[in-house]
Amino acid sequence: MPEIETLGILDEIQALVYDHLQVVSYKWLSRNFLVSSNTAKRLLQEFVEKHGGGLEVVYTLSGWLKSCTPSYNIRLVSGPKLAEAKQEFDGNCSIQVYSVQACIPKDPAALWNAEFVQAEELFKQPFVVDNCLRDNRFCGISNSFVKRNIEVTPVSNVSGQPKSAGMSSLSNTSSALKNNTVLPPQQNKIQQSSPKVGLLSPNVVKDVKSESSSIGVRDQAAKPSADKEKVHSLPDSKRDKSSSGSGSSLANLWGRASAKPKTDCAPTDASAKAQICVCEAVEDGNSEDDAEDVNFRRASNGEGNRKRKVVFDFSDEDEYEDAVNLASPDLPKGQVCLDPEQSKKVLATEKPKLMSNELKEDKSKVKQEKVIDQESHQSMREDSSVVSKRTNTKPSSSEKIQNGAPRNDVNKDKMADSVPNSPKRRKVLKTRIDERGREVTEVCWEGEECEIMKADSEAMKKTDSTTKKAESNTVANNVKRPPVAKKSPALGSTAPSSKAGNKKAGNQKDPKQGNILSFFKRV
Amino acid sequence: MLELRLVQGSLLKKVLEAIKELVNDANFDCSATGFSLQAMDSSHVALVALLLRSDGFEHYRCDRNISMGMNLNNVSKMLRCAGNDDIITIKADDGSDTVTFMFESPTQDRIADFEMKLMDIDSEHLGIPEAEYHAIVRMPSADFARICKDLASIGDTVVISVTKEGVKFSTRGDIGTANIVLRQNTSVDKPEEATVIEMNEPVSLTFALRYMNSFTRATPLSNTVTISLSSELPVVVEYKIAEMGYIRYYLAPKIEEDEDETKPQV
Repeated sequence: MPEIETLGILDEIQALVYDHLQVVSYKWLSRNFLVSSNTAKRLLQEFVEKHGGGLEVVYTLSGWLKSCTPSYNIRLVSGPKLAEAKQEFDGNCSIQVYSVQACIPKDPAALWNAEFVQAEELFKQPFVVDNCLRDNRFCGISNSFVKRNIEVTPVSNVSGQPKSAGMSSLSNTSSALKNNTVLPPQQNKIQQSSPKVGLLSPNVVKDVKSESSSIGVRDQAAKPSADKEKVHSLPDSKRDKSSSGSGSSLANLWGRASAKPKTDCAPTDASAKAQICVCEAVEDGNSEDDAEDVNFRRASNGEGNRKRKVVFDFSDEDEYEDAVNLASPDLPKGQVCLDPEQSKKVLATEKPKLMSNELKEDKSKVKQEKVIDQESHQSMREDSSVVSKRTNTKPSSSEKIQNGAPRNDVNKDKMADSVPNSPKRRKVLKTRIDERGREVTEVCWEGEECEIMKADSEAMKKTDSTTKKAESNTVANNVKRPPVAKKSPALGSTAPSSKAGNKKAGNQKDPKQGNILSFFKRV
Repeated sequence: MLELRLVQGSLLKKVLEAIKELVNDANFDCSATGFSLQAMDSSHVALVALLLRSDGFEHYRCDRNISMGMNLNNVSKMLRCAGNDDIITIKADDGSDTVTFMFESPTQDRIADFEMKLMDIDSEHLGIPEAEYHAIVRMPSADFARICKDLASIGDTVVISVTKEGVKFSTRGDIGTANIVLRQNTSVDKPEEATVIEMNEPVSLTFALRYMNSFTRATPLSNTVTISLSSELPVVVEYKIAEMGYIRYYLAPKIEEDEDETKPQV
């Protein structure tokens, strides 16, 4: 790997981790920048050495456990726990960087998220397209006896394809493929080959082209997180699902919440699950294929299992988030109806809070994640994800309360805003009447208005004004007394019973009651 | 010079009864096309819009647009002096600060003039955009009034939900809950007894019942009421005034508590 290019990738990683807050795992790195997985690991290691401060590293520890029944264990451990975890291994264990990220995600599935989405995309490419996942060209383990024969395989052969394309060495690849020797990072060669394939099956030409062009784009390592964007921009109808499966990270969630129109989550999920199953099958195939060494098989199986597990966790989580997402656009809308600026502010203030919450929880999460056995690892992970769900809901609900308060205030402010308007009006009204000599309470009215301003409550003002009016009326004209007495309950319009009075008071101050002025503008 | 002669005097009485509970003071705007009113309640939660087209009057003369500020309770007091069968004529001279209500008995043997002082009211005229509503329910107005009255004895707010199944009015109070479901019912002898639900999208909104009950004061004006709901808009409760116009009530929804709970959990 040329030094310059490596440096470029390191910068990319930095941008991804710090600016895009993405979890950069070695798998993702390998597939995204078309380097072998070992190179990717080395790059990450290098990156950690260079920029180790201020970021969280998840290491892969693999080796034999010290426990009485010797078992081979692969474990993901966060940086601070590394030394502790090492103690549990017998003798030497291999330590590799699994991923780097700005912070340990609250949801462990987020670690797999980016690479899962990526894998899903690669699998979704037409079968005539040879991609790094199909030919396994970046894998550290290869089977020289596996031959890939992409052109011959019919497009419709869904199940057979991944296996035949499963695992083979790079050198083998070159001999097996008749079009070209496919050396690792030479993506352009794939581009060359895919149109050829396209000629064989004209139906697929367009797909192939779009896919290959997307690959091309990916090849330009200059675009840091273009991957995510591509997910959205690709014409494939299934892209939405994959992108909805990309959730989890806060940025994604908010982005989606605003961008995504209302969709039915149920079918999406079902198909997403189906896709996961396909991926799973393929992964299983791969892991069986590449099993030569016992240890490695165990390792890969374990990895496969774990992946599967997490995938399901993830999909559950996703479903959950989807539900939230569907709801979330509504609420902002509702708020927007009230006052767009306010709601924006609320959202904006919400975000930092969420971030801090997330950070707090991360710490506890890391503790939870420290696990001993692989099986227990999985169950624990489930547990921890459940726990995290719970903890998820709690802070957010409390936050809602916090948010509710400012919003109330805002509404009150609004009320207060509207108050000066109406007293003004009343003042004019009263003075006019005053001029006609019917009522003689101009000064009194003014004073009252001041009171109102202070009172900041419409209800107060209302009752005051009505009683005042009543009083003034009685002063002015005794004959009118009975109707006046009748009038004040009528003005109150709900005053007659105590219950109604309560209702009224509740309504006047009710922050939940929308204001008609927020829907219709003055003309 | 303004002169409006309305044979159905009782109609004007009903209109006033329908508005005065919600609004204390309002401007009646008269133009060549008709007699209209738009006003918000004092808390700016509800809005009432009245239109009586000029062709509904037996005689309608309005030389120039005029806006007459009136205390609706005072108008109501005046109109209470008119018999139900009386012909009512509203008269105002240009530049005058009074309005005259003239009541003629059907037999023309009794003519009464009531002059009322006008008042200056800073009008806040709101532009109400035309909107597509997610759901429109047309039902007998008496049924709607009964529902609102019944629910108000249980709770303070009503949740109106329109689904394919029908329209549901539900409330919750200290003593318990209440749900009233109406299904579409067009197989009735009289068209005004039908319940018709047009739904493009399910919608569920919460409203303060006390306003709804104020709206039902317009029940005597029309046999049917039309409730138009959209999730981001105020509900419109419309009573058609036969061959003359309408009275429409707009009510801002309450922001639902439940919605808060389903906010993003992240």
